Amino acid sequence: MANHRFSPVSEGEQPCCDISRKAQICLCVVLSLLVLVIIAVVTAILMWPRSPPNHKEWQGSGTTAHFGDIVLGRCYTYTQIVRPELRDKDCQKIQEVFLKSFLSKDPCDATEQDYQPLIELANQTVPCNKTVFWSKTKELAHQYTRVQQALFTLENTLLGYIADDLSWCGDSGSSEINYQSCPTRRDNCSSNPVSVFWNTVSKRFAEDACGVVHVVLNGSLNEAFDRRSTFGRVEIHNLHPKKVHTLQAWVMHDIGGVRSDSCSSSSIRDLKSIISERNITFTCQNNYRPVRFLQCVKNPEHPSCTSGI
Amino acid sequence: MFQLSPGTEAERGRKRARVVSGRQSCPLSAGRSHFSARRSSESRRPSEVPAMSARGCKPSRLLLPALLLLLLWLPRLAVDAAGAAGARWNGEGTSPNLQSIFLGRCNDYRPLLSPEEQNKNCTAIWEAFKLVLDKDPCSVLPSDYDLFISLSRHSLPRDKSLFWENNHLLVTSYADNTRRFTPLCDVLYGRVGDFLSWCRQENASGLDYQSCPTAEDCENNPVDSYWKRASIQYSKDSSGVIHVMLNGSEPTGAYPIKGFFADFEIPYFQKDKITRIEIWVMHEIGGPNVESCGEGSVKVLEERLEEMGFQYSCINDYVPVKLLKCVDHSTHPDCALNSHPVPLPRGNHYFWFVVYRSCKIPFSKTHCT
Repeated sequence: MANHRFSPVSEGEQPCCDISRKAQICLCVVLSLLVLVIIAVVTAILMWPRSPPNHKEWQGSGTTAHFGDIVLGRCYTYTQIVRPELRDKDCQKIQEVFLKSFLSKDPCDATEQDYQPLIELANQTVPCNKTVFWSKTKELAHQYTRVQQALFTLENTLLGYIADDLSWCGDSGSSEINYQSCPTRRDNCSSNPVSVFWNTVSKRFAEDACGVVHVVLNGSLNEAFDRRSTFGRVEIHNLHPKKVHTLQAWVMHDIGGVRSDSCSSSSIRDLKSIISERNITFTCQNNYRPVRFLQCVKNPEHPSCTSGI
Repeated sequence: MFQLSPGTEAERGRKRARVVSGRQSCPLSAGRSHFSARRSSESRRPSEVPAMSARGCKPSRLLLPALLLLLLWLPRLAVDAAGAAGARWNGEGTSPNLQSIFLGRCNDYRPLLSPEEQNKNCTAIWEAFKLVLDKDPCSVLPSDYDLFISLSRHSLPRDKSLFWENNHLLVTSYADNTRRFTPLCDVLYGRVGDFLSWCRQENASGLDYQSCPTAEDCENNPVDSYWKRASIQYSKDSSGVIHVMLNGSEPTGAYPIKGFFADFEIPYFQKDKITRIEIWVMHEIGGPNVESCGEGSVKVLEERLEEMGFQYSCINDYVPVKLLKCVDHSTHPDCALNSHPVPLPRGNHYFWFVVYRSCKIPFSKTHCT
């Protein structure tokens, strides 16, 4: 009379331990849970560095990818090829100090002091009469200095060259670069690392200028001179009257664009009064010819490029 | 051996620099051209002229006179020519911090790539490039850069290719960092090597920072082979309208019969991808008009293209580029804005001659576009 008990053993099968079926099920469940927990822990560990909880989410795009490599490469290119007279600059140190100026700091509380060591390290003398400021005319001003290579916009100096078009920020809770996002004014964060950097280096650029300085302004805007621009807020107020004797403004109109502002308009008169008050001579030219030619490259057929201006 | 007709002035020498010396003439296009760098490379040119004119001489015989000239001509040359007295080769030594510059430029180029190509791995590209740094500096072939090219190549925008000879600064300025055109130096595999020099030591591993071979030393040197390979790829990947900018004030001719364009670019034009070729022969403002469309070496080029079955046109002093030249000569009569020549294109489909039309005739109706 067979008392039908499961005879677990058949040929080739490993005899299991001598436990009941119920116990086996329990064991399987426990083991599965254990495996799941291990997977969860491992995943968490692997995922951790990628989205550190300390990095806040901001409105602006994050630090430029490979920021450190780009900074280092640009520094070497500038000091070895663009201006080899600066070949003794220590680019490794400059990169290090640049990173230190914003890493592990609150990106809404950047200060001028943060950038002082970097500015000292990258210090550079721009020759007199060669400084070119720009306001709302970045592309045009750079096209001009690319042709007239003796002239310098801020982006033709070492620091400006290194940082142009890059963005960067860190976080006070971490020593990592924040590649996800960076604060902008939309985050109510005007003291963000990038804005403060440009304010600081612009100030220095203006302080170091001497002789005749120039500014390229956009006369097709409502206000060619904007008091809230970096030029209006920072640069003109940091020109040294003992060093800079003349500011020459070139008010350029877009080819085929409106002539809303010109040397005789109110915003330029405003600029003139600020400059004159600082005992600096102000001169102004509409559509300064060499820069005009640059504009004409894109519109060679336009009457103002073919008929006399 | 790759021979170019002897160049005389700086522009020619700078283009030839791609072939004969470690210094690149390919314009640096981060919007920041480098006057002093070109000046120092410029100052090297005179030393190469006597060397080149002594055709057929063995490199070892050229070395001593070349070095003496280097020491005699300008003190700066002696300073710039690193260790001139003991230099093995004619060209500049390996650029310091080569890897950092390379990686920086590669990563910097990323925003200029199309979205689907932005995942390029700059470290891998460097590793591929680096392979030639293990090779004997006179045994580097263009094909040694195949892996580097395959990793760094990317699509070129149609109608934006700009080939050139002897007008380096103009090309950089006009191209405007790919905004207007994309010459070779505004392509990733041209950008990373721009103005750099590299080579292994002759009898040891490790880079030679003192000097590197030029074409005068040996044909298969790392830098020339790089530019040959890059030029070939650039040519193969170009499509649509092809533009060529030549210097009609160059005493030795606007189109070098033997040169990068002639030997490593034209032969690789893809007929099925190219619609037509537009040649611009630019002249210096107020400068000598040595050659124009349909003359001299330009005619040779036109005939060659015709023979190859390409539709071409040729324009003297293409206006947009001339306007750019005028930035530096704004008061010159040739730059008076109301007297622009209206260059009518000359080509194999229509034979119009360039007519200089002046609007300075008093009382004339303006018909000057």
